[in-house]
Amino acid sequence: MKLGDHVQNLGLRVGAIQAFAFILLTLLGVRLYYLQIVKGDYYSNKAENQRVRLIPIPAPRGAIFDRNGKLLVDSRPTYNVVLSSEAIKTVNVNDRVDVYSHGLRIDRQFVVERLNLIKTHNEFETMVLKENVGIDDITWVESHSLEYPELRVELQPQRFYPLGMSLAHVLGYVGEISPKQLEDPEVREKGFRPGDIVGKGGLEQYYDEYLRGKPGYRKVLVDSRGRVQSELEVVPPQSSQDMVTTIDYDLQMVAEQQLAASTTKRGVVISMDPNNGELFAMASAPSFDPNVFVNGSSSHEGRKQIAAYWQDEKRPLYNRAIQGRYPPGSTWKIPMSVGALEDGAITVAHSNVLCGGGITIGNKFTRCMGSHGSPPLDFAITKSCDSYYYHLGLKMKVEGIIKMVEEFEYDKRTGLDLPNEKISQTPKTWMPYFLKKDGKWADIKTVYASVGQDTVQVTPISMLRAIASIGVGGKMYVPHFLKEFRPIGAVGNPGDVAYIPGRDGFSFQHTEPKIINMTTEQNALVLKGMWGVVNNGGTAGSIKMPGWDIAGKTGTAQVASLGKDTGKDKDHAWFDSFAPAYKPEIAVLVLIENSGFGGSNAAPVAKAMYQAYIAKRPGGMAGGDVRPETR
Amino acid sequence: MVGILEKRDLRDFDWLTSALALAIAAFGVWQIHNAAPSESFWSKQIYGIGIAIVAFVIVSFTDFRRLIDSAPVFYVIGLVLLFLVLTPLGVQINGQKAWVRLPLFGQFQPSEFVKIPTVLMLAKYFGAKKGGTLSLREMLIGGAIFAAPVGLIMLEPDAGQAITYFPILAAMFFLSGIKIRYVVLAAAAATILIPAAWEVGVRTGKIKRYQQERILAIIDPESVDPRGYGYHTIQSTITVGKGELAGIQGDTDTSQSVLKFLPEPHSDFIFAVTAENTGFIGCVSLLLAYALLISRMIAGARDASDRAGMLVIMAIVCGMVFQIFMNIGMALGILPVIGVPLPLMSAGLSAILTTFIAIGFVISIKLRRFVN
Repeated sequence: MKLGDHVQNLGLRVGAIQAFAFILLTLLGVRLYYLQIVKGDYYSNKAENQRVRLIPIPAPRGAIFDRNGKLLVDSRPTYNVVLSSEAIKTVNVNDRVDVYSHGLRIDRQFVVERLNLIKTHNEFETMVLKENVGIDDITWVESHSLEYPELRVELQPQRFYPLGMSLAHVLGYVGEISPKQLEDPEVREKGFRPGDIVGKGGLEQYYDEYLRGKPGYRKVLVDSRGRVQSELEVVPPQSSQDMVTTIDYDLQMVAEQQLAASTTKRGVVISMDPNNGELFAMASAPSFDPNVFVNGSSSHEGRKQIAAYWQDEKRPLYNRAIQGRYPPGSTWKIPMSVGALEDGAITVAHSNVLCGGGITIGNKFTRCMGSHGSPPLDFAITKSCDSYYYHLGLKMKVEGIIKMVEEFEYDKRTGLDLPNEKISQTPKTWMPYFLKKDGKWADIKTVYASVGQDTVQVTPISMLRAIASIGVGGKMYVPHFLKEFRPIGAVGNPGDVAYIPGRDGFSFQHTEPKIINMTTEQNALVLKGMWGVVNNGGTAGSIKMPGWDIAGKTGTAQVASLGKDTGKDKDHAWFDSFAPAYKPEIAVLVLIENSGFGGSNAAPVAKAMYQAYIAKRPGGMAGGDVRPETR
Repeated sequence: MVGILEKRDLRDFDWLTSALALAIAAFGVWQIHNAAPSESFWSKQIYGIGIAIVAFVIVSFTDFRRLIDSAPVFYVIGLVLLFLVLTPLGVQINGQKAWVRLPLFGQFQPSEFVKIPTVLMLAKYFGAKKGGTLSLREMLIGGAIFAAPVGLIMLEPDAGQAITYFPILAAMFFLSGIKIRYVVLAAAAATILIPAAWEVGVRTGKIKRYQQERILAIIDPESVDPRGYGYHTIQSTITVGKGELAGIQGDTDTSQSVLKFLPEPHSDFIFAVTAENTGFIGCVSLLLAYALLISRMIAGARDASDRAGMLVIMAIVCGMVFQIFMNIGMALGILPVIGVPLPLMSAGLSAILTTFIAIGFVISIKLRRFVN
């Protein structure tokens, strides 16, 4: 140091500055060592994760056909406007709400919801903002690509329901997987991601796994705004397996037309092959248009329509055939008859029970519709003698009725291949409740339960399954819609990274039918009564078809208290049947809500179904009137 | 000036320091190119370095004592330029009004250049001192000389640039014999007052939310919004770490800067680019180069023939070390994001010119170490 001054210690002070400078530089060196050498791999991965994106390529969902190859549901390519989550990160979304809703003509509230969802769920890569867009919207997005780089147009397959309201309850519809569904760890494990399209309701939901296909993806390099710089890898999607159902489109149309023409336009028609459980038709009225759910949720009108569906007190979204529970009325007498025979309350030789025009329980007289003396079982069925069953029920006691309920599996789901099937309610369900409430099960409840009222509320599908079994020696098959899934070929060559193996076709896995424990004679006696309902002056004699013997049972189920049969509390009309009576090929159940007598309101609908069936049947009515005597 | 070049000048000229500075600047050009290969920042920087070399040569061969004598003139011109920034002649870039556009000169950043006159003015004042401890009166006058330009810069407002002036004053005080107990006192006060000020500032809302976020991003980067103000720190740290031992070696297709994850890669975050491209090896080499440059400059200060010359060099050293530490510390995620350029590396004409002029002074002072 040239400049000396012992007071200032200049040399020392300069030295101190130099030392301090080196300490600072060393500090930086240590930090560098930590970041680059110790944590280098960690940061390399982080950098890779933020620049490489997998953009899913949705697989087209499989088509659904009826049993004769008629197309029921398909997918078609549509242009969608999607939001890219990476690009929206740095954007203040409040600035965009009005821009999007004006530019794309979509509901403002919907835009707010979508933006909130994509902001809060960072697993979203893209999110559909508007589906099925036309050239106007595509032009708008393309011409604003600099201002709103987060928007882009993608070609995606969209579900299309050409039949509209027809078959809606059976087919269901598709929609984006809900955030709530995604909370389920099982769902996440299957690889579902936000924005995935899944089946909601109906066959779409039940067979979603097979209908969905395997999505492919594009592995791309993106910049900080999520703009694709280059493509690194493409794995094409594997479209799904096509589904052939057991549905007969023509029968389905007749069922729907009949319901539409009914007095209340509310009700159920189900048709099934009693020999194996294949469902030909299932109509529930009123219905809804699944297309509204698929592409209506972004438009104001669509949202209004969806809300209207939910609020409609006629409940169009609800599949009455499997979710509705109705008192079965006199159709209940068929399982009751079988139960009583099994139970020993009556025998084939001595099946006479007193009618007496009614019954007195305590000080209350419940009357029969006629005065039938002391008829045998088949006559009681044919004429639908209530009082016969009042007395029969008391003979069986409630325990006997419960045994019958278990025998016919009214305490279970039928197991058909649709989601959200309800279980019927029976005295078995109510017994614990009344024992707790009243300390005992009152006899009057047994009397009402004997004729399918009060504590008996069954789903139409369980009723059809039980009654159809009478025609096939007591075999109760699981009703189902699946005929087969067609096989699909592999994508790519084995050994490729992108290789997806093909999938085999398969058909419905039949389980062993539940066998109702009755003798041939017992079966024949009940069947004779059912045959008489239509063919021997019974309650549905009006639909008698020469050359085509129908076996059935009418029901007129009281909704409110006795005697009042007007307005919306009018009786439910039932007709539950199969034909030909002694060699059944088809079973038909009809329920018209609040329309009155079963014989006059429900039975003609069944007749229309049989006529439609015969029209397609090879040989027309041939063999439709085989009787045991002539066999 | 060039005319009076003597043989002795060439013999005593500090070739090593000059070559070191030039080498770092050239390395910087390469990194600027890596930061944005498709843009022209790097070619502009070469042009800037060309101008800077001319200025550097002129200053080197000019007698620094004559320049220090004229310090008041430069100082006043500097203040006028800073004032012009605040007038309609000032140009706003990225929301900051720190530039001025003048005919002939074009657009430049006065706060960068004015460091030189400020150093000269302070050196002239404290250099005249004979010895002994620093008096309060001297501190006040020195403080006033310092406050005028810094005050004007704060009005722009450009706090980041203003901070880089403080090491200059600190160096002047420290080397003019300020009592060590004052230094200790100041250090103690800082350790207590800075956290206290933070606490008070946060509670009263004087420290704005974004300013808080910048600090919090350093203490706990996971806690702040990665898309918000912590974004710079997080992305810079990723970029540095990704370089690992040897860097990506020019394979810039997937680099953080080319994909625009790293903001301001050619200027404020040039060190992160360097780290990504050249890895630990390149970064440590750069730090060593800086250390060597600083050592050479301090050696010049020790040999300086007069006090003013020594003060000029040490003020430049302190300013430079401070900027290096602030800038790299920010890139490494240990200091908050303040827009301080990395000397000799960051793209920017004003900065590179100022740094070369400053080093020119060092050379000039060294060249005349035997005079007196």
